[in-house]
Amino acid sequence: MTENDRPWVAFYGPDIRAEIETAAYRTLGDLIRSVADTYGSAPAFTACMPNGMNGTLSFAQVDELSDAFAVYLREVAGLQKGDRVAVQMPNGLSFPVAAFGILKAGCVLVNVNPLYTAEEMARQFQDAEPHALVIVDMFADKIAEATRGHPIPNIIVTRVAEFLPSLPRGIIGLVQKHWDRSVKPIEVPHIRFSQAIRAGRAHRDRDRIEVALYDKDVAPDDIACLQYTGGTTGVAKGAMLTHANLILNMEQTLEMIPALERGKEVGLTALPLYHIFAFTVNLLGLYRLGARNILIPSPRPLTNLKRAFENYKITWMSGVNTLFNGLSREIWFLDSPPKHLKLASAGGMALQVAVATRWQEITGKPLLQGYGLTETSPVLSFNPVGKTRDGSIGVPVPSTRMACVDDNGIPVAQGERGEIAAKGPQVMKGYWQRPDATEEVLKGGWFLTGDIGVMDADGYFYIVDRKKDMVVVSGFNVYPNEVEDCLSQHPGILESAVIGVPNESTGEAVKAFVVPKDPGLSVEDIRSHCKAHLTAYKVPRLVEFRDTLPKSNVGKILRKDLRAQESQDQASE
Amino acid sequence: MVGPLEQALLAAMIFVIMLGMGASLTPRDFWFALRRPYGLAIGVVSQYGFMPFIGFVMAVTLDLPEAIALGLLIVSCMPGGTTSNIFTYFSKGNLALSVLMTVTSTVFGVFLIPLVLLVYASALDLEIPRDNIIATLVILLVPVVIGMVLRKISANVGAVTEFFGSVLAIVFIAFIAISWVPRNWQFLMTTEPSTYFAAIMLGVFGILIGYGFAKLLRLHPRNARTVALETGIQNAPLAVAIIVLTFPGEEQQSIIAVGALYSMFIVMTSTAFTLAFRRANTAAEQKMPDSLL
Repeated sequence: MTENDRPWVAFYGPDIRAEIETAAYRTLGDLIRSVADTYGSAPAFTACMPNGMNGTLSFAQVDELSDAFAVYLREVAGLQKGDRVAVQMPNGLSFPVAAFGILKAGCVLVNVNPLYTAEEMARQFQDAEPHALVIVDMFADKIAEATRGHPIPNIIVTRVAEFLPSLPRGIIGLVQKHWDRSVKPIEVPHIRFSQAIRAGRAHRDRDRIEVALYDKDVAPDDIACLQYTGGTTGVAKGAMLTHANLILNMEQTLEMIPALERGKEVGLTALPLYHIFAFTVNLLGLYRLGARNILIPSPRPLTNLKRAFENYKITWMSGVNTLFNGLSREIWFLDSPPKHLKLASAGGMALQVAVATRWQEITGKPLLQGYGLTETSPVLSFNPVGKTRDGSIGVPVPSTRMACVDDNGIPVAQGERGEIAAKGPQVMKGYWQRPDATEEVLKGGWFLTGDIGVMDADGYFYIVDRKKDMVVVSGFNVYPNEVEDCLSQHPGILESAVIGVPNESTGEAVKAFVVPKDPGLSVEDIRSHCKAHLTAYKVPRLVEFRDTLPKSNVGKILRKDLRAQESQDQASE
Repeated sequence: MVGPLEQALLAAMIFVIMLGMGASLTPRDFWFALRRPYGLAIGVVSQYGFMPFIGFVMAVTLDLPEAIALGLLIVSCMPGGTTSNIFTYFSKGNLALSVLMTVTSTVFGVFLIPLVLLVYASALDLEIPRDNIIATLVILLVPVVIGMVLRKISANVGAVTEFFGSVLAIVFIAFIAISWVPRNWQFLMTTEPSTYFAAIMLGVFGILIGYGFAKLLRLHPRNARTVALETGIQNAPLAVAIIVLTFPGEEQQSIIAVGALYSMFIVMTSTAFTLAFRRANTAAEQKMPDSLL
């Protein structure tokens, strides 16, 4: 594999550096301390509840509280450098305190999806072997089952309203306990987060502990986070992201948005911080900018965001297609779109052109799509402000190479489809304790994304489909996304999914699962619609009507489930 | 009926509740309701167009005694009551629109009430108690403004005020509904079924027709719910005050019957509609996937 030319650098403009060689900070702990020294008493994090109740921590407060938590982990809980600490909580003021404390202690942060079932938690805990778990009380009833046979020595329990002023905190606590009953009794031995911080503080003051010494011998390429990925497609693997990975990816991403000014921004974090996009861009990026970060514990229903938009002058927000699409349909949002917004950034899943266009119409400000994977900390590409291209994931961020390659790793001709490979300082060290899986994706310094893409003459990239979803019909590649897009344009179709099924004459054949909107819809209608828009080999040979399609808990249609059902049906015939 | 002490207590409760309601609002909410006065105009039409007509039709078709019919007409010509704001809040309606509609219909009432009653009850010489109208406006607007200011000063103070206001509102509704029956037992036992029917159905028809009208004109469901509750919920205490001022002794007792019955049943009717509206609102809410990613 060779390094491509970089036609995209021409589109960076004067404000974006093409290379960011070295990180401005050695470790994330250094970054946290240094930024806190600069911005001190300015508000860093504000947790905003659906009813407008809120709490704020300044840069100095987060620094002090996370110091105290670091001391607790090292001195009281007895953790060592490199020990894993799992964090499982929705967005709230506890998150930055816990995450920063873990990093300052020289430990490894393991983000856990708070919506995981006990079984999913157990699998992740068995793999990561955390020495401590910081968990919100709402989910603490799952700990006993999730740690059976593999106990976690230190359980630290926090609450959604932690660090809020006492009256709102009390009201939220009472409502959670007696009205929604979302907080259940905790059966395992544990310590409260606030107690842990008090204990850490006492130790620090008594023994005059210099917290900065904890991560003094942490190297930039030591692991900072184990970020799990692939849970819906198979066994989840922990991507080892280093301090340098995260610091540089944060810098690379901020570099692509020069409109954001230091010490002047108010960012909205509606995406969960345990997810790598929100973690790197919102948690670290906004902090680094000296911005005020408005944390939303749960964006469901979307009216939960109303008070945040009313009470704070949001200048930047991030989200996924679903969030932007949803907001564009909320009457309160249409009535008063955020006046101070400069731009919004989308990641996590493909941003639909229609959604981006509508967002721009409503807010008058651009919605920029980026692309990346957990394994790349996560950002690989972003659309530069003012030079966006419809449907494109943008151009590679500074110091990043991207290329479309064939099955042998050879770059395909410009304009041809190939698997996207990427190289840059944000690419992970590998999968935790999985050298086999690491070898499959890291080849010659390039990371293979598993996404089929195409690059235009200017270096803008476009995603075609996931490689493993590709259907091969008589040697021709068919991308299910393309066929589904065509089907979605038929007015009688509510939704559809396309997979490949074995076929004697063509190897594989295209099969479409269709949820009809119009009950009179026939297979012939669908096929003739497709014939009008697609080459013959892409037209579904088989069409099956369904009432619903299998979906993941994030609303993505699960083609793999359809494939599994299909092969089961074939076997039973 | 209600003694002066209780009346003062109820007024104080309403004040605190409206303080909480106000704390859920921003000036922008009012600005948007005013910028599209369509909803407001629809409200005035259904308030002074439909409601008196519903009252009139029932008075004629139910063959009510004259005094009862007159009482029904007076109640049906009243502006929107303060409780409509509380129910709008709970039914996830447009509270700013509701407050504006109450204010508009109350202010317009000064000349529209006599006019409409003139049309339906032919040249009735009624005395409209201006003090009462001013008191209604003050008790509505002053706490709302204070609530908005509190929220502006601190989002937390606003949210806490709103929380306590809404808790008190539930207590208030429960208190009215539960305490009314035993206190008026004698009266309830001697009232004719047709009077009951008129008093209950005035509210039900008002809400249904207000909703249908708003939907017909393609108002957003949020605003349709608001118009419905605003139309059906009348300022019954104002009707009682007008009757007391205008009519003497014996006659007064019969005329007041509908107003008194209405006051009680509208709380129950509105509660039922509010629960239905809330359910409809939840059903219409956008379904967001469990996690956004």
